Amino acid sequence: MKVLATYNIKGGVGKTSTAVNLAHLSAREGRRTLVWDLDPQGAATFIFRVRPRVKGGGHALVSRERPLSAALKATDFENLDLLPADFSYRNMDLDLDDTKRRTKQLDRLLDSVADDYDVVFLDCPPSVSLVSENVLHAADTLLVPLIPATLSLRTFDQLTQFVADAPGKSPQVVAFFSMADRRKRLHREVIEAMPRNGARVAETVVPALSIIEQMAERRAPVTAFAPTSRAAQCYEQLWAEVG
Amino acid sequence: MSVLQAADGALPDARVILDTLAADFALDVGPARVVRRTLLDTFDHRLCAAGLTLTQHGEPSGEQLVLRRAGRPVTCAAVGGARWPALAAALPSGPLRDAVGAASGIRALMVVGDERRRQRRVDLRDQDAKIVARVDVDVPTAGSGGAVQVRVHALTGYSRQARRVTALVTGLGFRPVTGEQCAPVTRGTSAAEPIGRDAPAVLLLAGVLGGFVTAMRENLPGVLDDVDTEFLHDVRVAVRRTRSTLKLARPALPETMRTRWEPAFKWLGDLTTPVRDLDVYLLDLPTMAQWLVAADAADLTHLDEHLRRSRAVQRRTLVRGLRSARFERLLEQWDQTLAELAQSCAARPTAGELSDASIGRAHRKVVRAGAAITVDSPAQSLHTLRKRCKELRYALEVFAPVTDKPARKAALADLKGLQDVLGRFQDCEVQREALREFAHEMMTDGTPAQAVLAMGELIGHLDTEQQQARERFDGAFAQFTRASSARRLRRLAGAR
Repeated sequence: MKVLATYNIKGGVGKTSTAVNLAHLSAREGRRTLVWDLDPQGAATFIFRVRPRVKGGGHALVSRERPLSAALKATDFENLDLLPADFSYRNMDLDLDDTKRRTKQLDRLLDSVADDYDVVFLDCPPSVSLVSENVLHAADTLLVPLIPATLSLRTFDQLTQFVADAPGKSPQVVAFFSMADRRKRLHREVIEAMPRNGARVAETVVPALSIIEQMAERRAPVTAFAPTSRAAQCYEQLWAEVG
Repeated sequence: MSVLQAADGALPDARVILDTLAADFALDVGPARVVRRTLLDTFDHRLCAAGLTLTQHGEPSGEQLVLRRAGRPVTCAAVGGARWPALAAALPSGPLRDAVGAASGIRALMVVGDERRRQRRVDLRDQDAKIVARVDVDVPTAGSGGAVQVRVHALTGYSRQARRVTALVTGLGFRPVTGEQCAPVTRGTSAAEPIGRDAPAVLLLAGVLGGFVTAMRENLPGVLDDVDTEFLHDVRVAVRRTRSTLKLARPALPETMRTRWEPAFKWLGDLTTPVRDLDVYLLDLPTMAQWLVAADAADLTHLDEHLRRSRAVQRRTLVRGLRSARFERLLEQWDQTLAELAQSCAARPTAGELSDASIGRAHRKVVRAGAAITVDSPAQSLHTLRKRCKELRYALEVFAPVTDKPARKAALADLKGLQDVLGRFQDCEVQREALREFAHEMMTDGTPAQAVLAMGELIGHLDTEQQQARERFDGAFAQFTRASSARRLRRLAGAR
């Protein structure tokens, strides 16, 4: 089972769009795929038309009162399941803090479904927290969407430092530019001048396209409702790079 | 997935089903489409044995393979222009190929069932327009028979909704049917009715030999079509068992069995040997490539090509033989002979008497031949012992109906350890000699030196492995002749 996490300290950079579209592409290829919407805002859950509710909340999952499998929901797409968001996830840090080996709980929870899925996407909330530390332990690949702006690069530096400082197993960090607008000089310059610093930067650049914003309205991945669109092609290209 | 079926002969209108479901759910009704559903498995139903069902769904939009475990789809893959039979390696790469290949191994996938149905896929949505259940309304096409079916696909996390759908459809008179089952595996080696120790031996022999010839017939089309290597292997096993049984049971069988039928089946065995030997080399080649240290695996490409060319030549001879009037006569007259054998009035020896004598004799031969082997014995002595071991194993298998099952299983397990060592010793001997022969043949064809050098490295590896097998022999034979094992075999041979 391969675990990919879409993560950034900043919000609104395209984490959920990436998780939802890449998960749909993974499932379309026949891989048994799971998306875990860890963000209490529940954007991925909303897009998949699932109710943002987990019986017993995040506490029941973290404390093992309820198995992860009991909270799973099928999406409208073959081979693609969702572990929905729940507003109680806002307290997940506290729940994790109450456990032993508090930074490895998500990894252990995912172990319980390791035989059922080939690929898991973790759609992470924008923060640096105990949940984030758990994500670092659980993920094989950290997919980091970056808006091509100076502050984004600074945040990326903070993020790579956070990953480097984390004890134990570290995921591979793969950054890519998201919501890019080639008409903007600054965007072009940042993309060209991106310092690699040992981190992998994907070739694919996902542009800022209104059709991606329509996902919330259509409540479906863009790769499903507009499979031939430029946005869908970009996500296919990104999936080919990181999948 | 649960399948609900209309009562025999009832052909409910699909509209009635949809109207009933629409009372509780918003329906997205897909277009009617004719679905050709082809069930695929290996000849010996390995997927079924592994709890898997592989179906190919032919639809106007394209062909799709769906793999189910315990009725639940686990993975699917688009497949274009698939032609069966084919090995799992021919499937598109991905989890489906991995799962199917792990179960099917070296056996080809072939069509084991086929039906055409007119199907409508219906997505059932809740008030958020989320799909909470899927239903296939499935009507057999004209002339293909069968009942109207409703397949309810429960979605993860929405079992309550699936139960509701099932209840609604059941209310229309549909009843659940048990899961799609594959055909049971039938083996031709067991007698139709249980045979006791006091029954005439000829009755048991006619049943056992009849089972072997059935196995030959069942596998013959696969050999002629060259579906996979196991068809020929299974024919050869049936022939070898037939020959061993004729030899073991000589005291109970008419003289013509020895004078006519033993040579007839020897001819059949010899006819199949060259292709099988080449199959084994080709199957072993990937493993052999991993032995190479100095040479490169690519250096074996020439050997691979040589083996394939030789196999094509030998297969022509094999197919000619299996399509010959001689072979047709052999099968036909063998059936008559077995029918006469079953009708013969020879009450003695009984099955029990013949079993005791055959197992006892075969066991003594193994012990004698093994005890005579010293460090100086030639490879031929170990080969002879291997043949004696096979005879003992066949005796235990042929007389299974009249021997104690736990004791027989334990005896076979004891024998297996010795057979494994002897098998590896002899395989190394034969393969080493064959590689030398291939090298000679290939050199006359102008094969590059590195190919021959790579084969030399394989010969060296086989030599080492053979020596290792030889070193393990004493221990394996001592294990086989230990007191508890010998006592068990003597009891199986009737000793009290």
